[in-house]
Amino acid sequence: MVKDTLFASGDSVVVTATRSERKLSNITVPVTIINAKTIQQNGSLRLTDILKEQTGLTLTSGFGAGVQLQGLNPDYTIILINGEPLVGRTAGVLDLNRIALGNIKKIEIVKGPSSSLYGSEAMAGVINIITDASNVIPLQTSLRYGTYNTLDANVNNTMATKTLFYQGFYNYYNTDGYSIRPNSNNRVTTPINRLTTSQQFKYNLSDNTSLVFNTRLTDENIKSNITVSNGGVSINSNGKEHNTDINLAGTLNHRFSTNLKTSFRSYLTNYISSQDLITLSGAPYNDILNHLFQRVENQTDWTLSKKLSGIFGAGAVWEGVKSSRYDSEKVRKNNSIQYGFTQWEWNPNSKLIVIGGVRFDQNAQYASAWSPKLSMLYKINQKNKIKLSIGQGFKAPDFRQLYLNFTNVAAGNYSVFGSAEAQKVVDQLNNLGQIGALYSNFYALKSLQPESSTGIHLSWDWEPNQKTFISVQAFRNDIKNLIQVEQVGAYVSGAQIFSYLNIGRAFTNGIELETKYQLNHQWSMSGGYQFIVTGDKDQIAKIKEGTVYTRDANGYSTKLALTNYVGLPNISKHKAQIKINYVNTHGLFANFRMVYRSKWAVNNNNGNDVYDNGDSFAAGYVSLHTSVGKDYNNGISLQMGCDNITNYIDPINLSNLPGRTLYFTLKYQLNKKVKK
Amino acid sequence: MLKSLTKITAFVCLLSSIYSCTKSSTSTTTSTVPISATVKDLLADSVIGIDPKTQMPKSVGLYTYFNIEKNKIISIADTANGNWDLAFKTTTILINGGTSGNAQGGAFIYKGLFEDLKNISADSVFKVDNAPTSYAITTGTDKGWYHYDGQTNIVTPVAGRILVIRTAKGKYAKIEITSYCKGGVNLTPSASYEDILFKQRYYNFRFTYQPNGTKIF
Repeated sequence: MVKDTLFASGDSVVVTATRSERKLSNITVPVTIINAKTIQQNGSLRLTDILKEQTGLTLTSGFGAGVQLQGLNPDYTIILINGEPLVGRTAGVLDLNRIALGNIKKIEIVKGPSSSLYGSEAMAGVINIITDASNVIPLQTSLRYGTYNTLDANVNNTMATKTLFYQGFYNYYNTDGYSIRPNSNNRVTTPINRLTTSQQFKYNLSDNTSLVFNTRLTDENIKSNITVSNGGVSINSNGKEHNTDINLAGTLNHRFSTNLKTSFRSYLTNYISSQDLITLSGAPYNDILNHLFQRVENQTDWTLSKKLSGIFGAGAVWEGVKSSRYDSEKVRKNNSIQYGFTQWEWNPNSKLIVIGGVRFDQNAQYASAWSPKLSMLYKINQKNKIKLSIGQGFKAPDFRQLYLNFTNVAAGNYSVFGSAEAQKVVDQLNNLGQIGALYSNFYALKSLQPESSTGIHLSWDWEPNQKTFISVQAFRNDIKNLIQVEQVGAYVSGAQIFSYLNIGRAFTNGIELETKYQLNHQWSMSGGYQFIVTGDKDQIAKIKEGTVYTRDANGYSTKLALTNYVGLPNISKHKAQIKINYVNTHGLFANFRMVYRSKWAVNNNNGNDVYDNGDSFAAGYVSLHTSVGKDYNNGISLQMGCDNITNYIDPINLSNLPGRTLYFTLKYQLNKKVKK
Repeated sequence: MLKSLTKITAFVCLLSSIYSCTKSSTSTTTSTVPISATVKDLLADSVIGIDPKTQMPKSVGLYTYFNIEKNKIISIADTANGNWDLAFKTTTILINGGTSGNAQGGAFIYKGLFEDLKNISADSVFKVDNAPTSYAITTGTDKGWYHYDGQTNIVTPVAGRILVIRTAKGKYAKIEITSYCKGGVNLTPSASYEDILFKQRYYNFRFTYQPNGTKIF
């Protein structure tokens, strides 16, 4: 499971898997680590750049770039920075382009349900971006310029005394965007400029006590040129979009003894997004979203003996969202959560590690959730390891699903009401005589349950020799209570009324293979492959009943055979990546990367609500990337690279893949080290 | 939009060509065995341009009338005597009954396969048109025979939906719409703007008509 990096060794420390520092070789769940070195040598700027080259991860487009993990949509993966969650999702997607990589120490990806430690959203997995203050270089600067006038500038500086540590990071990113759709004024990526700064202060009060403050600010300006097409009407809008993401975190760590330590964390984040558009007809269109999230938490780590250790944690969250898509953009919708968790690690002998944990989330707006997890690692011998884990994950109904109050006046006047509001709003409309019909599922609307999953993961790691690593993993996720939009009624005019209901059941099932091979000191290679099968359980039941139809070559209806069912949309059955890496002792490095994704279903063509072989697919493709550079002894580094060498584009289905891009980077770092 | 002006000219030509609607079977004798036929590219209200204000497609606004027994499009002038069973305008299909006509027409939608519908069960209820709020052949996306994608503006007939028709003369037929697009294909989201605008509204369907008045096909 150790990924690439030139290469994460078994001694690498992982924090995300257990919420405590553990050696990678002792981790019981599937973890991928991406090191700063890999990020730099791949020439990655934003989080999306590096994630798209990881086995089993797929980028999605639409409402920003999200990531699909183990076949689950971006909604189901929690994104953390130094252990604190990012908020501000549009239609469930958190735009990963928001995250600059210039000051990242490493990225840890835990696959499989992890709600036992992280609560809601950690249903498919956890991505934790760690900007840890272990950087000891006083000054680093870099400047990159590339295709589409893309400019990326970074400054990183570090100051340290015996008791005080400071690190500051500044990133400026600007791109003209690109349009890969011919004859369209609609830019796939619109002109954007983003400023990201983050600061870390660490103050050692004593040998056993420290205070850490982290701040982060991302501010982005986007020139929008949007075409909204709905109900037969296309509206072109011009204007700007402005997004601000502020994160403030403070942590007090105290060590009582070598066996007992505790940390208090407080966190505040605010994501503010506004769209100011002018449509071609001159009508303004404004949309705001303001998500405020505050959390306090304590975690205590207690080592009872060499064989047994545990953690306890408890915390509270207050969050609120204001949006022009709720009944009033001035009123904040609130939710509060209280939670507690514990996890125990038992190490009976040198071969076996067993970890069990559970978390309980209690909250004001939806049903509470228990999330247990059990995992184990068995070291058969020096060369072979087996890992098994089973856990539950959940995703709480989000504010949109609870409070949306949106009527699309531009297109057909249909309405979508969040489940917490629907009955009240519809009753009011009914009193005004505006409701034409209410379906039986309207009366079944009740408070939403969290969506939940049970995941099982089995893996086998094999290191036949010092140069070779092979890992085979199998996983299965069973998901229930999926929240879906359903029509619950209609206006007198016939326009539809929608709301959210817990109705879906699905599964994802897959195998992953990861290998790496170190040929000699210069050459190494890594590769990964994922095969995945997904499906909607209710659809499968209907297909077995014989009530799902498709069309034959003549256009005549036939019963859909289960063999022609393709499962969930936007999921490729096969995904693979290969990386060849070269480094030498003179600071020269080069790499060549290949990423493959097989076809995926994008549109239902025969109106049967089910994705089958008669529907439309995006074509599978291979993208090739390369980068070469040299680190000089005087602190200067040069790098140039080419992404998407073959210029593969698919304007309809892959708006997030620009054509061929070239870039050149100049970097300077003071070689004097700061003492920590 | 200027580009589409040339298309309009093309469409005037196409309008005239609908009268030569292709038929695979032209049997119109008074046979008592069910008659099966397919109809290709029946144009239902052609698009003649785009309204610059509303951005909505502009069209002639006329129905295309069809006589099932004769398997023939009926000119508007000939419709007065109730000589039609179905009338098509975009996604709306009228039957010759209720508010649409004073003959015996009626219809309902059967969910299942065309060949599995061997007889219309005695308790089936044929609805009549009650314009503009309800039609015997239900309108609206996913409610009747088609799915409409609001993002792409593509109309797709839903598989496994059979229109069961009572004709103007009180006889029975079953119809399966196979395509709403010229040439009998179905458009995909990658279709060009022009294709989506101008190649839709062409009905392709197959039907079986029982001339002896029974409900058995």
